[in-house]
Amino acid sequence: MSRWSLKRPLWPHLFLLPFTLVMVIPLYWVFKTSLTGEILYTYPPSLIPKNPHLFYYIDVYYWIPFLRYLWNSLFVSVIVVVSNIVINSMAGFSLRHSFPGKKLVILIFLSCMLIPFQTTIIPAFLITKQLHLIDTYLGLAFPLLTTIINIFIFKSAFDAIPKSLIDAAKIDGMPEWRILFRIFLPLSKPAIATNIILTFLWSWNSFIWPLVIIRDRNMQTLPLGLARFLSYFEPSSGPLYAFTILVIAPVIVVFLHNQKSFISSMISGALKG
Amino acid sequence: MLLKKKRSRELLLIYLFLLPAFAVFMIYRIIPLGWNLVLSFQEWKAVGPNEWIGLSNYTKMFKDEVFWKSMTNTVIYFAVGSPIAIVLAIFIAIFVNQPLRGRNVYRALIFIPYPITPIAIGIIWQWLYNERFGLINYILRSIGIVDEGIPFLQSFQWALPAVILTSIWQVVGFFFILVLTGLQSIPSELYEAAIIDGASSRNRFFRITLPLIRSTIFICFIVGIINSFTLFDLIYVMTGGGPGHSTEILITYIYMNAFSFGKMGYAASITVILFLFLLLITYVMNRVSGGEAGGMEIYE
Repeated sequence: MSRWSLKRPLWPHLFLLPFTLVMVIPLYWVFKTSLTGEILYTYPPSLIPKNPHLFYYIDVYYWIPFLRYLWNSLFVSVIVVVSNIVINSMAGFSLRHSFPGKKLVILIFLSCMLIPFQTTIIPAFLITKQLHLIDTYLGLAFPLLTTIINIFIFKSAFDAIPKSLIDAAKIDGMPEWRILFRIFLPLSKPAIATNIILTFLWSWNSFIWPLVIIRDRNMQTLPLGLARFLSYFEPSSGPLYAFTILVIAPVIVVFLHNQKSFISSMISGALKG
Repeated sequence: MLLKKKRSRELLLIYLFLLPAFAVFMIYRIIPLGWNLVLSFQEWKAVGPNEWIGLSNYTKMFKDEVFWKSMTNTVIYFAVGSPIAIVLAIFIAIFVNQPLRGRNVYRALIFIPYPITPIAIGIIWQWLYNERFGLINYILRSIGIVDEGIPFLQSFQWALPAVILTSIWQVVGFFFILVLTGLQSIPSELYEAAIIDGASSRNRFFRITLPLIRSTIFICFIVGIINSFTLFDLIYVMTGGGPGHSTEILITYIYMNAFSFGKMGYAASITVILFLFLLLITYVMNRVSGGEAGGMEIYE
């Protein structure tokens, strides 16, 4: 028993409360403005929204093809998430076995991790152009189709599966590839969750890559549309903040519903990275 | 015979399963890295073959004031932004690591900005910094620090600190979670023994806590490197690199050269420098933290 576990000190709150407010108030303030449009012209600014309405949210639909952007973002994210689960689990499956050249493969994967995507963006753009994938969903998704961190997350999940289970399946005559889908994947739900959360976030938030390869307005993703939208507006207008809330709402809702797996996913993403 | 055949089929499957991942890394990591190096010795032509120009891009770069400005700003970001965020995160983590009421609420709320779309963060903060209706200027005026609002993002003096502060705001919650995880893995017997030996709380922090979260701090720096690219998004919406390149960083300058000016070759040579720079930081941090952190764990 450590000696401070019995009393619950109050003084940390003196520091933590203001700090937490600093973290939360900007988000709350945007939310409030998206409902009322009241900016700091009104003195004193009120903390609770007065006469909230959804007018600005409707406005967003008139100003921009919001549903189109939403669809683009969602569709690309779905491609990315599904392909990551498939490709990464396959690679993780291979890495669980021993085979000639395994050390070399791991070495290559680890050194790829030292190449941040943004430092290869110019040739990546040129390659995408050669492949005629400019302004396409596949082009948007391509660099994110598989991610090294997530391969290793699958590998370590698979490593934890007892060998006896696999041997039993083999004796029953199950072919190798079915072992992946019937035994490995069902037993690796946390790894799958981590893959989904990390790759969804990366795809949803991605900005520089869509900025580089999207010319067609109809192919814009939400962050791209948001950045464009900013250039039409004074930084004080309700629709801009309604749009901002619409872009960040999915992330916040998903986070609040799955806090535990969300945070542990991001931690394992960083620790393996 | 049968066994051998089975083994070779198994091997085939293993290589086949590695292939898609390998292909993507080849196309989007390995080939681009080489190609980028090649491009850096060329002048890019939109039509027709590129022209080999030797080291001209590099000599031009070293004379380019804007390049040096963006290099300095990138270094400032790593040398000032990341350490401030990490120190702040350690403080908060130590506070939250106490037996507190509402620990989980703090954890969630402090973490929340991290996963949010950086473009949205940029828009929110651009507005907070606004000269006339920004919340920050409102508060400064109310408590009488300034009479007139400060146009933070339009000012040579304030724009860079303002952008870095925003990026700290976004990343600090994640650093805090990482440090908290590190703290919770320290066995409490160590502290008990230290208390019995009469070690002061200061000594306990510097002699036990800090050394044991060293690898966590390394990870924070690495996350900071990855996060430095979201700085592109923030700068793109908040200042566009201005005023007068005062918030230009390497990646924004690369983007501008490659995709606004069409100087792919020149941009490629800056990218080579950025890549070497990031590699150097990773190496130094790895050495400082004791060299056991990061990728090597996976190797086992």
